[in-house]
Amino acid sequence: MMSAATLLKRTAPVLACVGLLAVWQFASLVLKNDSFPTAIEAIRAVPSILTDKDALINILASLRRMAIGFALALAFSIPLGLMMGRSRAVAAFFNPLLMVIYPVPKAALMPIIMLWLGVGDVSKTLVIFLGVSLPVIYHSFEGAKAVEEKMLWSGAAMGLSAGQRLVRIVLPAALPEILTGCRTGLVLALITMITSEMIARQSGAGNILFNALDMGQYDTVFAMIIIVGMMGICLDAAFERIRARLVRWSEPQFDMPLSFS
Amino acid sequence: MRMVSKWILAFGALTAAIASNGQSQAQQTIRVGWTIPAEESKYWMMKRPAEFPNLGKTYNIEWTQFQGTAPMTQALAAGALDCATQAPLSLSNGVVGGNLKAYIVAQHVFEKPGGFSVYWAVMEDSPIKTIADLKGKTVGISVIGGGTQGPFNMLLKQNGIDPAKDIKLVEVGFAVSEDALRQGRVDAVNMNQPFAARAEAKGGTRKLFSLSQAMPNIVHILEACRADFVDKNPELVKAYVRDITSGMKKALANREETLKVVNEVLKAPIPVLETYLLKDNDFGRDPGAAPNFPAIQKMLDIYAETGMLPKLDVAQFKHPTIVAPIQ
Repeated sequence: MMSAATLLKRTAPVLACVGLLAVWQFASLVLKNDSFPTAIEAIRAVPSILTDKDALINILASLRRMAIGFALALAFSIPLGLMMGRSRAVAAFFNPLLMVIYPVPKAALMPIIMLWLGVGDVSKTLVIFLGVSLPVIYHSFEGAKAVEEKMLWSGAAMGLSAGQRLVRIVLPAALPEILTGCRTGLVLALITMITSEMIARQSGAGNILFNALDMGQYDTVFAMIIIVGMMGICLDAAFERIRARLVRWSEPQFDMPLSFS
Repeated sequence: MRMVSKWILAFGALTAAIASNGQSQAQQTIRVGWTIPAEESKYWMMKRPAEFPNLGKTYNIEWTQFQGTAPMTQALAAGALDCATQAPLSLSNGVVGGNLKAYIVAQHVFEKPGGFSVYWAVMEDSPIKTIADLKGKTVGISVIGGGTQGPFNMLLKQNGIDPAKDIKLVEVGFAVSEDALRQGRVDAVNMNQPFAARAEAKGGTRKLFSLSQAMPNIVHILEACRADFVDKNPELVKAYVRDITSGMKKALANREETLKVVNEVLKAPIPVLETYLLKDNDFGRDPGAAPNFPAIQKMLDIYAETGMLPKLDVAQFKHPTIVAPIQ
């Protein structure tokens, strides 16, 4: 028999979603604004998008760019962050650059990047790369900085080279923090995936969203927002499962759910 | 530190390799920018390529959709596009501010006498009866500094209103203009198709004035190609303009199929398109997609008169042979 507390814990995310949809439905009915459809109208438009071949091709094209941008960002940012955390010279060189780039809205760079790299996939992937890189670098940096010196001394005493210490001691020890950065990066990848398609596009989820916005088809606009939101929830849940497996040793004993996993 | 340099070099090399690959492909392909709505000949080329014998055989098109004509001007000036949809004002801004050299090779839509003209609407019961009554009011325009603002400013001035001081001008996109008017967020707002047809069907709004009062035959969107690209690839651009001419003919000759094509591109329901597309309440389309250079010159003169542009001669946009109609 499931206790009331367990039942509440398990259904809380669903209840939160239902509550949000109820507020949306009520607000739309009260405001009676053509550009703000009801939650039911928006939900009704979701199947027509998900069963349309062109729409699915568009969404997959966006996800492909997002995956490439995310993977490139991890490949670049994790080693850089770790080195910054363990070398003052590297940190002193890169920190000011990152502080300049961090607050700049990445989508605002799109017109400039477009002039350098053209209007194709490369510029959009670069915007995603920039969006993901910064939180991953920052968390990798903090994770590497927090590694206890005596562990590194022990490694050196056992004959590990600097590179081996980075891979075999710093990387595993910093992994919980790195994965926190990756989780933030994943959400930012989704956001930049859409915003990178705002100005110029050949395919993508933004294609459906911004075209519908231009044509005043607000049920489709909000349906796309729901779909992007669902994609975020699914990606986050999948990532959280991977994270939990990789860093089970560092998990706290109390259980405070923060995600849909 | 050496490791960091390797990473940076590897990333730079990868980016450069991908970018140069994109540029080398541009030699066989025309990179074309487009937007929505009102480019039926290009929509036909995109969605019914089999109807165009040269398309996909003697040349290819890499289509990129943009949000409006201004970003396409930047892309043309940067060499990221070869041809694109332009408005006379955005193209001229590219020439004046971006050192862009381009030819107008075709025309998409214009305001034909008796047809649809972009207009400013007020609520049926509004006390605003004339343009002069707009003094002190909040007025919506789709893009501040956009193509419609020149003739708009001119009409206001002719009626004793200083557009910079006497009204509060706010940017309201065409898609939300009806909503903004009905909610009372603006006192008057500009309307375009298909939103004008939808608002008229619902009732309760009234036309105050239209752009055609400033001048007839206003050219809204045209097709422009970079001059250096045209000069290097005259036969390629000729084939493209020939297909735009043919696309326009097909669009006008077969309305039923055009509705389907436009529906596929815009995802707007056919019953909505049916209310206006290629009807008397729509913009005009030249059967040969021929640019109306005298009308474009008149628009440039209006922009110069209202201080939006320096004086420009339309002749700089005219190629001696590569211009629609090309049979």
